[in-house]
Amino acid sequence: MSEKSKQPLARKSHLPLILLGATMTGYGMLTALVGSWLSNQAMRGLITASAYRNRLMAFEQTTGLIAGLLFFVFFVWCAVQASGGVRVAFAIGAAASAAPVLLGRAERLLFTVIGLPTMGAGSVLAGAVTTLVFALPMMLLFILLACGRRVPRGGRWLSFASIFIVLGTAFFPIYVTVLAFLLKPGDPAVGRMIQLSSQIIKLRFLLPGLSLLGLAFISMRFARLSLEPAETVLEKGEVK
Amino acid sequence: MNPLTGKVYVNRFIAVLLLTMLLLSCARPPSPTPPPGASTDDAFAKLSLVVPDRYDPPIEMSSVMAVDATIKFLGENDIHNNVWTRAYEQLLGIKVSYKWVVDGSMYAQKLGLSVNSGDIPDMFRVSPAQLHLFQEAGLLADLTDVYEAVASPKTRDVLMQDPTSLKAGTIAGRLWGIPLTDAAVASASLLWIRQDWMDKLGIAAPTSMADVLEISRRFITEDPDGNNAPDTIGLCVTKSVWSAFANLSGFFNGYHAYPGIWYERNGALVYGSVQPEMRDALLALQEMYAQGQLDREFGVKDSNQVAETIAQGKCGMEFGVWWNPYHPLNQSQANYPHAFWSAFPIPSVDDVPAKSQYSSAVGAFLVVRNGYEHPEALLRMVNFWSDNILGSQDDELRQTFLGDIENPDVVLYKYTPVVLWEPNAMIDGSKKLREALAKKDPSGLDLDTQWRYRIIQAYFEQGTLEAWVEVATNGPNGAVTILEQVLKDRGQLNRFYGVPTVTMAEKMPTLQPMEEEVITKIIMGEPIAMFDQFVENWYRLGGTEIVNEVNLWAEQNP
Repeated sequence: MSEKSKQPLARKSHLPLILLGATMTGYGMLTALVGSWLSNQAMRGLITASAYRNRLMAFEQTTGLIAGLLFFVFFVWCAVQASGGVRVAFAIGAAASAAPVLLGRAERLLFTVIGLPTMGAGSVLAGAVTTLVFALPMMLLFILLACGRRVPRGGRWLSFASIFIVLGTAFFPIYVTVLAFLLKPGDPAVGRMIQLSSQIIKLRFLLPGLSLLGLAFISMRFARLSLEPAETVLEKGEVK
Repeated sequence: MNPLTGKVYVNRFIAVLLLTMLLLSCARPPSPTPPPGASTDDAFAKLSLVVPDRYDPPIEMSSVMAVDATIKFLGENDIHNNVWTRAYEQLLGIKVSYKWVVDGSMYAQKLGLSVNSGDIPDMFRVSPAQLHLFQEAGLLADLTDVYEAVASPKTRDVLMQDPTSLKAGTIAGRLWGIPLTDAAVASASLLWIRQDWMDKLGIAAPTSMADVLEISRRFITEDPDGNNAPDTIGLCVTKSVWSAFANLSGFFNGYHAYPGIWYERNGALVYGSVQPEMRDALLALQEMYAQGQLDREFGVKDSNQVAETIAQGKCGMEFGVWWNPYHPLNQSQANYPHAFWSAFPIPSVDDVPAKSQYSSAVGAFLVVRNGYEHPEALLRMVNFWSDNILGSQDDELRQTFLGDIENPDVVLYKYTPVVLWEPNAMIDGSKKLREALAKKDPSGLDLDTQWRYRIIQAYFEQGTLEAWVEVATNGPNGAVTILEQVLKDRGQLNRFYGVPTVTMAEKMPTLQPMEEEVITKIIMGEPIAMFDQFVENWYRLGGTEIVNEVNLWAEQNP
């Protein structure tokens, strides 16, 4: 049976992957915290709905632009540092950088600039597009890593789990919104799902970011172990 | 370790996944829930209901029924055999039979013919005019004593919440009709403005009518919709200037004028449409029209056409009522996701706070035929509704008697004439909702309010802009908070809640169209002297007699 040697995700430095994961995690935490703080203010009546929306949009547009640029730089850097299928994975993942930029801009872009019909669900459609822009490349990235024979085993399993994390955090809120506003308005069970989905939506950048950090950790550990002399890491994971 | 270990793990995982899916797909489906209004005799046994002693043996009660085109039945149910007729019979011991059933638009005429021919049902619904007509003819049972003896605390509470409702059913100190109550304050005027346009142009909330005029001017001159075309309208108005949306009542209220209602001035009731405060408001509207802030064709546009203008995102302001975001303002957001309408209290033209006008919501009464052996049966049916349905948080009970989520177009309460709503429910519910939002704890809310909570939560925590309707109405700083102010000290209640007086019934059908025509013509450029002429004509053509009759009624109904 042919054996393929495992390799770390980065050839020289894991810094870009760490930075990518940390930026994504940080961005996820920041958007969750600021969103929660603003929604608390609005739900208590301390600021008007309009003020809430304007402040949130200003925040999302500014931080989204910065985060999007950083994501892109780090994804490209990761791709440069990687090789083979892993490089392709990060190159595809770079497309997810557009998602933060779209936050707060998607409605205007889709319905004013491009002129698509809103079909009475503009924000849901815009949210779905933003989600797709992030989730699709990230899922492909994790699928490629999960399938990569040269990727360390721990990394493959984490990537495999991350596919579902991305799926869940991205599409569950959309599914609930469609249920709540189109299919089952007034259903108490859907009401409870809204509660859950409003928490899950806060994790959509944070968890994939943590996954990337986890991958970096696994890859670094693998690299350290594989540097030890006379050790060959085989596909089966045995150290000889 | 075996080299295939990794593959084995994956294979095991997939196998477990497939097995789980197989088991789930083979699982016994949940037992089907009986449809709402199922005709099983024990359908009520599992419900915790408040019911009085059952008539034994059961009594007969004939009635008549108005239905609308949207009424729907499930299975073998129909208007003669449904959850309500079965509940009345099985739980209260009252066998209700309908002598006839007609479309709501034909009800008054059919009832008149039926009563004139001597075919009077035991219990039926009447309009305020019919209440007086039939009472004077001696056809109705006096309900004063049975009300005192039978009405439950909850029923009394509901009927007391609107101080005018029981009075409206009272003639010469005796109660002849049980008022079908609703929220009177729901008809109070509010100002709705496109908040996203205000934000774009940097406009603050209006604090005076001068601000309203300025906002209107800026909405037509500064291209708030950003399409580089002068196609926006400052203030939307329909040709029916007193309709529920895009009306002019609120605008006039800002000038302390109260068209179409009766209020006290110098110790007597006066008719608002002929008071001098109307002049200044009319002049302001005339100027707005001349500057193009009103639709040039508002005089011929009905509510559907104005709703279309709103849907096209061309309208910046409208005076309407609290529920306007549900229709038609929701249409602008459907096309423009960022459209958001905010409600504001009616601003004042001067330092005196403006008051929003509103009228009693009692438009019908339940009465009992004079000579019917069991007049208290009506009160038992009302109690059944009040004690079990109003404010109920029992999901099963609500599904049984009101309908369920699976069949949203099957509205079960349409099968009974005994339907009252709590006048204060909207205000109380909204207060509780806001408290729950502030605490982020919806646990103490009833099912309806809990759903509103979730929708508002979806807006603030998920960015679902389509939820704005609930935010703008029941959310923090929403329209209902303004209604609380209206109830407190910013409202002008129509003081005349009786049936039309003799002259009113005869002359108002002529005077009211004249009033709307004059207002429309003046706004569109006729000289203001036309208003003075209208006032003179109004009094001359019967207004004087109407004022006298209304004041006589007020003396008799303090």
